[in-house]
Amino acid sequence: MAIMISIPAGIMANQKAAQSIIENYNNTITSMQEEINKTSTLIEVSASSRRGMFSGAPSGMPFPGFEQEETFINATVVDEISTIEGVKDIVPFLEVSSEETTEETMSTPRGSFTISRPVYTITGICLNSTLIDSYSILPTNVIDGRNLTEGDSGVIVISLNLSDYYGVYVGDKIEVYDETFKVVGIYNSTARTVYMNITDVQRITDNVGNVSRLDVYAQDISYVDNIAEVIEAAYPELYVTTYEDRLANLERMQEMYETTLENAESTISQTQAVAFQEILIAIVATSLIVLFIMLYTVRERTKEIGVLKAIGFSNWNVMSQFILEGILLSAMAGGVGTLMGIVGAPVISSLLLPSVNPFSTQQSGFPRQNINFGTALAQSVTVTPDPQTLLLAFGIFLLLGALGSLYPAWRAARTSPMEALRYE
Amino acid sequence: MSNVVLETENLEKVYAIGRRKIKAISDVNLRVNKGDFVAIMGPSGSGKTTLLNLLGCLDRPTNGKVVLDGVDVTRVPEKTLWKFRRYKIGFIFQTFNLLPYLNAIENVELPMEGTGKSKEEMRKKARELLKLVGLAERENHKPLRLSAGEQQRVAIARALANNPAIVLADEPTGNLDSKTGYEIVRLLGKLNIEQGTTIVMVTHDSHKAAHAGRLLFLSDGKLLAKEKQGTHLLKKELVCPYCGREIQPDDAFCSSCGKKL
Repeated sequence: MAIMISIPAGIMANQKAAQSIIENYNNTITSMQEEINKTSTLIEVSASSRRGMFSGAPSGMPFPGFEQEETFINATVVDEISTIEGVKDIVPFLEVSSEETTEETMSTPRGSFTISRPVYTITGICLNSTLIDSYSILPTNVIDGRNLTEGDSGVIVISLNLSDYYGVYVGDKIEVYDETFKVVGIYNSTARTVYMNITDVQRITDNVGNVSRLDVYAQDISYVDNIAEVIEAAYPELYVTTYEDRLANLERMQEMYETTLENAESTISQTQAVAFQEILIAIVATSLIVLFIMLYTVRERTKEIGVLKAIGFSNWNVMSQFILEGILLSAMAGGVGTLMGIVGAPVISSLLLPSVNPFSTQQSGFPRQNINFGTALAQSVTVTPDPQTLLLAFGIFLLLGALGSLYPAWRAARTSPMEALRYE
Repeated sequence: MSNVVLETENLEKVYAIGRRKIKAISDVNLRVNKGDFVAIMGPSGSGKTTLLNLLGCLDRPTNGKVVLDGVDVTRVPEKTLWKFRRYKIGFIFQTFNLLPYLNAIENVELPMEGTGKSKEEMRKKARELLKLVGLAERENHKPLRLSAGEQQRVAIARALANNPAIVLADEPTGNLDSKTGYEIVRLLGKLNIEQGTTIVMVTHDSHKAAHAGRLLFLSDGKLLAKEKQGTHLLKKELVCPYCGREIQPDDAFCSSCGKKL
């Protein structure tokens, strides 16, 4: 009974988890698509290849264990690029890793090793009100305090994750590269990023005149290719990404996601096949148990059957008596089983069924900032049977009780009263 | 309507044990009139129980007829035979056979289940019957808390529940001590006198059989031609069978000669 509740509940939980992963994926792809479409005139120029595809995303190590050398673009390059025909605006960013590092143990198939990685990323933004108004360069989703504005200095906006990590809130002070900054805003993100004025970053990290990436906006989409070519020709050491490159990237990513989802779906169908077998076994076992108990009962009470028939009970009277007893028996067992199912479903179903977690094996290859893996994983293990499943399982159980006692009851009814009376 | 309640005609029952055939009952011609108290005597193995099972529609004869209340039950299909067992026959067993998980009154009500009587009617009738057998005070006792004699009284009350045409008793005193056994036989006699209940009792105990009205003898499956009269007939006329003086129906001993009735 508990099994009959747990397994469907487990399947449903798995399906829900997969569903939410698919929805998550679809949302991500859609929002990426939208962002790419919105920024068709954007040419990203960065000093190193490690940058993610989108502004606002924190930088992470592409491969754990390798130190990434931080390289910069000199501010003079900015002036030169601005003279290229068709360039409308240039938004400079300076991204630097925090001084502070944390030790992290990585598990790989070849064993585990410890690496140190920066606790957070500092992103310096050019706080020019025209640029702020025209492009989405500030952190979004500010949930506490305010965002950065033109003229800000000595203040920072930090992510919620970082706020929790350090236990600092709006109005608190925090030290970054030996200088004290005041937290003016917190934005909702799982990333660990600190936003501040670009001139502050340049000063505290000794990078005056340096930027790490440029968002170059063309006046028109027709200038994009030309501008990209000119920049690539003039500065071969820089990485230039256009709308088309980003679209191609997205497609690659989409393919990867789809393969993963296919894997997940086949896992789910396998799980269901396993579950179906298990339910079938449970049903057969239940019927057999009821059958044997009732056969034993009939045998045990042969004499009583004889007496009942001798004093005038019809075959049907006797038969219905035993079927009723079978149903009562399974109703009681079903009640206990339902309780066990409600309490034990999460445990039992995780024992009986593998839970679907399509991203677990390929996490490292994914731009993890884009999908909220935390929730996807949590959903895949939350198994709670809903009332419908409980009721259905209970109904099936009663039916099995009736079914299992049918043959014993029929045997009881057919017993010859004379033989039965002689039975001791 | 005729006065005959039960009649058999050339009744025969053959059991096959391997290839051998054993005649348990043969050529039994029996007639029981309304109001009779018949005792069938015989040593063990003489076919007493077999005969009673045939009379009680628990078993089918190999040959011959059993006519119960004007109906030849040997022609009644198995499927509807339960109606005869329920409404025409009351069975009393040697081992009482009460259901242990029901109390006295529930055991008496059992044959009335499904007869269309209401719960109250059933309770009322069962109470009357328990009072008749002298157990009015013990209706809520489970069989295990009753003495053997009391259990048999409950069984007698149960046999009377549906006002049967005939009560068949299979060694009703076999599991009782002598004193209690006499009490049960006297109770049957009293029912026969006061209620007019027709009783066929099978026993191997000649002393108890002697208390019945008619005594029949079964030997090797055959009913002997001689038939004796028991003391019951005299008691029925409220006369002491030993000294001939007047007695009361409830007397256990004759007030004049002091002999056990």
